[in-house]
Amino acid sequence: MRFDLTLALADRPGHLVKALEPIAKNGGNIISIIHEREKPAEGYVPVFLVVDFPSKHHLRMTISDLKGLGVTIIKSEEIHETTRVPVILIGRMDLKRLVETKVENVRITSFEVSAPTSEEACVKLDLEVPVDSVDRVLDELKRLSKEENAILISPV
Amino acid sequence: MKALIVGFGFIGRALIGAFHEKSDVIRRIDEDFRVIGVSNSKGYAYDEKGLGLEKLLGIGELSKYSKGWHAEGSSIELLEESGCDLMIEATPTSMIDGEPGLTFIRHALSRGVHVVTPNKGPLVVAFKELSLLAEKNHCEFLYEGTVCGAVPIFSLVRECLQGDKVLRISGILNGTTNYILSRMYFEGTSFQLALKEAQERGITERDPSYDVDGIDAACKVLILANALMKRDARFDDIEKVGIRGVTQEAISLARKSNFAIKLIGTIDRSLEVAPKLVPINHPLCVHGTLNAIHLQTDLAKEITLVGYGAGKETVSAVLNDVLTVLNKTNCQ
Repeated sequence: MRFDLTLALADRPGHLVKALEPIAKNGGNIISIIHEREKPAEGYVPVFLVVDFPSKHHLRMTISDLKGLGVTIIKSEEIHETTRVPVILIGRMDLKRLVETKVENVRITSFEVSAPTSEEACVKLDLEVPVDSVDRVLDELKRLSKEENAILISPV
Repeated sequence: MKALIVGFGFIGRALIGAFHEKSDVIRRIDEDFRVIGVSNSKGYAYDEKGLGLEKLLGIGELSKYSKGWHAEGSSIELLEESGCDLMIEATPTSMIDGEPGLTFIRHALSRGVHVVTPNKGPLVVAFKELSLLAEKNHCEFLYEGTVCGAVPIFSLVRECLQGDKVLRISGILNGTTNYILSRMYFEGTSFQLALKEAQERGITERDPSYDVDGIDAACKVLILANALMKRDARFDDIEKVGIRGVTQEAISLARKSNFAIKLIGTIDRSLEVAPKLVPINHPLCVHGTLNAIHLQTDLAKEITLVGYGAGKETVSAVLNDVLTVLNKTNCQ
């Protein structure tokens, strides 16, 4: 699992190395690290990390160890690999309901409604969906389109 | 080998033409191959020494085959009394009960007669029963022409992907809906107008709802799922959405983003026929009356076959099945 970690380190020699030790100890694999020494704020410098951990538990252990060392955690978030999923819906549906339907970790990146020449509305949505949630999201959209008596046209 | 052809319609006649045209290919495998009987609903023509293929091609009605014509003789009677080795079943398709083909195929396989058929109906209704019957009686049961006409999907998997596991199948399994959606895509016509054009060209089923409501494609999904993925599925297991509701606006919206809309049959977690967005550079994005099947397997990964799914090209599949039976029985 991939995580975005932002730490605030005291701007003193050796603190970065010390902060990296708990990550290695808990099975973390550092994918990238940005250490912005030129931008200290009140004696602290931000360090931006992307780290692969075997599980959320390993991340929690790391955070606990870092706190024990006096390191401030500014951000710790899982990074979801996403894919673009375009869909078209045809029918007399409630567009507001469609847009307001929240599916976890799904973002509507674009929304296009055709100028209807027939009674059926036609909407194209571009969704940003975590790769491992595509089937679940499409199932949810299928359920919704059935309820709205609309036709869902999903990617092949 | 002595063969019977049950059904003297479009495919039956085209097959007789192919037997005549490719007689050298057939004789290289089996010098003694002959068609000893042809039947239809009105009777049968029978000659133990082999019917004249040219003569059959020259008559409009089977009853005009004067020598050996048995008016009101049944196909079952012909099957039982002719001592044939192979039956080619090419009667009209019924998706409801598979008849009359189902009875003929059951009867032939029970007697240990090899069967070749391009008739979907019997496979939709009783695929498992017929396959087990063939296995029990040690005979070949081949049906290449049932799905996507001339596209050799079953032969490919049977002969060339013997060690592969088929994980997913998707495809354009109905040429009529592809023609309609292609007209809407390229010419900007409405669904109704494109359907009318397809009917005028004679490429729809007698009842066009079989095409446009996804019933024909669903039958093929069922046959593919049962034959290539051992699913033991039934027709009602397939979710079906046809193309009646696909509007010109939807096609235009898709096109603006480099997608076409195609009616796709899918065998994956579930069995489904539905309109889908297909990227224009995807191997399944073929137009006109073409069919296409995309296979995903564990070893070969992805393979796509494209070809004509109906009409006279189907005879290629039936002829190849007959040659396969001849080759297999010659090797035994």
